[in-house]
Amino acid sequence: MTTTVMAPAFQDTPLVVGGRSFRSRLLVGTGKYKDNATMVRAIEASGAEVVTVAVRRISLDRTKEEGILYHLDPARFFLLANTAGCYTGEDAVRYARLAREAGFNEFIKLEVIGDQKTLLPDVAGLLEAARTLVKEGFKVMAYTNEDLVTALRLEDAGCAAVMPLASPIGSGLGLLNPYSIRTIKSRLTVPVIVDAGVGTASDACVTMEQGVDGLLMNTAIAEARDPVAMAHAMRLATEAGRAAVLAGRMPRREVAVPSSPGTGMLS
Amino acid sequence: MIGPLPRLHAVTDDRVVAAGGVAERAAALAEAAGPGLAVHVRTRILAGGALLELARAVGAALRPHGSWLVVNGRADVARAAGAAAVQVGRGGLSVREVRRAAPGLAVGRSVHDAAEARAAHADGADFLLAGPLFATPSHPGEPAAGPAMLREAATTGVPVVAIGGLVPGNAAAALEAGAWGVAAVRALWDAPDPAAAARAFLSVLPAPATVAVVVNGESRTVAAGTTLRGLLEQLGLDPRAVVVEHNRRIVRRDGLESARLSAGDAVELVHFVGGG
Repeated sequence: MTTTVMAPAFQDTPLVVGGRSFRSRLLVGTGKYKDNATMVRAIEASGAEVVTVAVRRISLDRTKEEGILYHLDPARFFLLANTAGCYTGEDAVRYARLAREAGFNEFIKLEVIGDQKTLLPDVAGLLEAARTLVKEGFKVMAYTNEDLVTALRLEDAGCAAVMPLASPIGSGLGLLNPYSIRTIKSRLTVPVIVDAGVGTASDACVTMEQGVDGLLMNTAIAEARDPVAMAHAMRLATEAGRAAVLAGRMPRREVAVPSSPGTGMLS
Repeated sequence: MIGPLPRLHAVTDDRVVAAGGVAERAAALAEAAGPGLAVHVRTRILAGGALLELARAVGAALRPHGSWLVVNGRADVARAAGAAAVQVGRGGLSVREVRRAAPGLAVGRSVHDAAEARAAHADGADFLLAGPLFATPSHPGEPAAGPAMLREAATTGVPVVAIGGLVPGNAAAALEAGAWGVAAVRALWDAPDPAAAARAFLSVLPAPATVAVVVNGESRTVAAGTTLRGLLEQLGLDPRAVVVEHNRRIVRRDGLESARLSAGDAVELVHFVGGG
């Protein structure tokens, strides 16, 4: 019997952000899970290497242990701290410094929120905080809206990645503005990772099909009826979208073209 | 040091340890005296493992009240038990040797005359346990050193804790001779109500100054001079699992020892939680 070694059908390059390489282009959050065991299983199923965490006050009554590191092995996952909940650049810088002091890495997912209802970013505060943090040696991954000019300014500020939204945080509305995302991707040199808004697997796939470098999500997995199964679906969808981009889609036509030969028909 | 040296020191001996219930009695003392109390685990009848077990149990009883755990002689056990200080006696390790074995812990030396006090001061001791001030059944036949020795020991500038025959009724005499505080074995451990005995001592000793601080948005009262490490210890928090901000400045782990709390200070203790 002879063994045939087949070349893999699809081989991707790693996602490189701020000098760090990751195999998975799907990044996931750790919030909103109904319990920690489900969170851990969902993260495993997603195949993600980068997981986001938030900085919060420790509970002083010590009756509950809500620290994420009791459940998630920091040696296995790359912890990406966020500045979620910060409404000023100054606050975000304070949270980022505290996060770095935890001693895992110098990466920060920078969020400066400008509006409570939509959680859309305050881009002025965001740019100011990004400049400060880059100066302090942080690798800044900036959560922003799908505005090209802001994305360009963030890149100029020295951000390691720009993270435009697909739609508002936790909305599950999917990719609202594919054109803007494509434009941002085509104009930036640093990785573009879409952050927030996907609701289901097709959203993830379509988003990746815009050619972006990666995708970050939390609620779509955590709030699924079965988060572990949804994490699996998101993994496949992210990989599918990415593979389709690398494969190169066929041209769109306004006319039908038969797939089967027109010749050799019976008389 | 985790805070100011306590004024009242409850020192065990072999008899107290053999009688058992040390951690329970230590808890009662700590509840009565809080950060004004240090409990010295001192015994020769336990080997390292059993001594560590006892020290840990006593430490756990003291910690919520901000009282100090002091381990006699064994710097290694003191360190493993998370003690605030090591007490070394005649013939024991030098202060330098203790500091190498148990970095960050305060070191007390037991002294019996003025010459030993001066030597301990030169050695760099953080406090002195000087005695016996009065005649004591713990050291039968040993002549009392008396207040003159205490006065001389106090001239070194190192805080002196008087030991030997101390009871609430004569503690004031120790203070008059220049002592910072007093230590007792029988008067505390043998008392039918150890907490009442501790309170009787405290009524004679200067009250520890306290300051109001805000920790994670909540008002708390701590002993003046409490360090950030002492605060974390009181809260039962592992310094490796928490990031500390003191008046808006981040304090690294190696700085927790030297940062002291003052009135009105704001402390934030944060960690990572689930987030997107």
